[in-house]
Amino acid sequence: MTALLELKQKIKDLYGEYDTWIIPALKFLLALAVFLGINAKLGFLGKLDNIFVVLILSVICAILPVNAMTVIGCVLIIGHCYAVGIEVAAFALLLLVLLMILFLRFTSKDNLALILGPTAFSLQIPAAVPMGSGLLRGPSCAVPACCGVILYFFMDVVQEKSSVLQGKETEATQKLQLLLDGLMKNQEMWLYVLSFLVVLMLVCLISSCSFDYSWRAANATGAIAYIVIMILGSMFLEVHINIARVIVGTVGAVLIGLVIEFFVLGIDYSRSETTQFEDDEYVYYVKAVPKSVVTQSEKRIKKISSEKTADTEEGSEKPEGTLERSASEPEFDFEKQLEESLKDL
Amino acid sequence: MLNEQKIKKMNKLAAYEAGEGKEHLAISNYYRSDYIGLALIKNFFLTTIAYGLLLLVYIVYRLDYLMENVHKMNLVMLGVQAVGIYVGMLIVYSLLTYIYCSVKYSRAQKGIQGYYKNLSQLQKLYEREERRTGKLMGRRKQS
Repeated sequence: MTALLELKQKIKDLYGEYDTWIIPALKFLLALAVFLGINAKLGFLGKLDNIFVVLILSVICAILPVNAMTVIGCVLIIGHCYAVGIEVAAFALLLLVLLMILFLRFTSKDNLALILGPTAFSLQIPAAVPMGSGLLRGPSCAVPACCGVILYFFMDVVQEKSSVLQGKETEATQKLQLLLDGLMKNQEMWLYVLSFLVVLMLVCLISSCSFDYSWRAANATGAIAYIVIMILGSMFLEVHINIARVIVGTVGAVLIGLVIEFFVLGIDYSRSETTQFEDDEYVYYVKAVPKSVVTQSEKRIKKISSEKTADTEEGSEKPEGTLERSASEPEFDFEKQLEESLKDL
Repeated sequence: MLNEQKIKKMNKLAAYEAGEGKEHLAISNYYRSDYIGLALIKNFFLTTIAYGLLLLVYIVYRLDYLMENVHKMNLVMLGVQAVGIYVGMLIVYSLLTYIYCSVKYSRAQKGIQGYYKNLSQLQKLYEREERRTGKLMGRRKQS
């Protein structure tokens, strides 16, 4: 555990030092995973299903805010649908506009979950989205997460029925009926929407409690609830679900939840303290849980060279904007110095 | 001479201005009633567009059925139903928008209060610094 904490501290230090580069790099990797996932699922438009285009789009996403990734992802989906048929692209646009107006405009800060949903499905760890969102964000994240499920199943329908949708003998109204039936009568999609909703709410509720190991309990409860809903769904609905795959995916989601807990929360419950005190108006029950930290042994490299004196003279001129002052630096009376320099003037 | 306290305060203010403060400052330009009123007007148009699109999708989806049975249907009743659903949807979304904007406005107000508090503290730091510089100049004149 100490080694892990040391690693965490090192990562934190590294992040603190190079965050200007690390944040864009992480955004780039996330965008790459999202766009490759979309291309793997649809991939009808050859021009977009090109690694160079994906790389360029990922670089753009690395610079722009996170929500740009959602917009570009949606544009990619519409582009691929256009290759299937203009009616399919129009339906995709219509679906996204409706989702945006009806649901997503109230959750503008959490809309990344919309595009993370299809990516998690393509990585076979769909439960990671509600569990991660429940731990990191609030219950409002359920809206984009569920919209992500709808978006994924729309892509699934387009992929499955692409041959019919591409056929020239199929009328536009028939295509629309096919797509709508594929969504509205898709019991698997509604089962996933329900499971996302329940898991996210449970994880949010339990992780916000103050009892010991609440985040781990939330993780475990979310995983169990997800598996139970899936089993019940496969039993009572006309849905074929591979339970082994669901369990493996949920284990992956739990691991992601534990990693999130380690990096975001990281507290040591064994040293928690409870205290009680009161003032004129209230009685306070306080529980203080210390954060798990390890003090790293700092390695200092002392340079011994003949140019020491020259170095120290140069070192007295500090660059503008530096706040740190070493303890060895002698106390400097600025007022006196200022007066003297004014006299000289 | 660098004033650490002043720089920390300025850094805090700049971080707020660049982050969530950007939105908060934009919201604080409005009175509460104006902000919510504007949001409700925007909501009216968006809900109308969404309803129109949903209605269009429904009509296209049931086109065959509608074409075959249009002569048997009570069109007035259908129209009333359509308007009823629209009004219901508008009421639900207006309520949601009202709650959402009220919460957003009150959060922005809280953030802005903290921002102004920090600004006034920064101003005091500046005044203190000016006084010190003034004293120094006075001492110099006396000498």
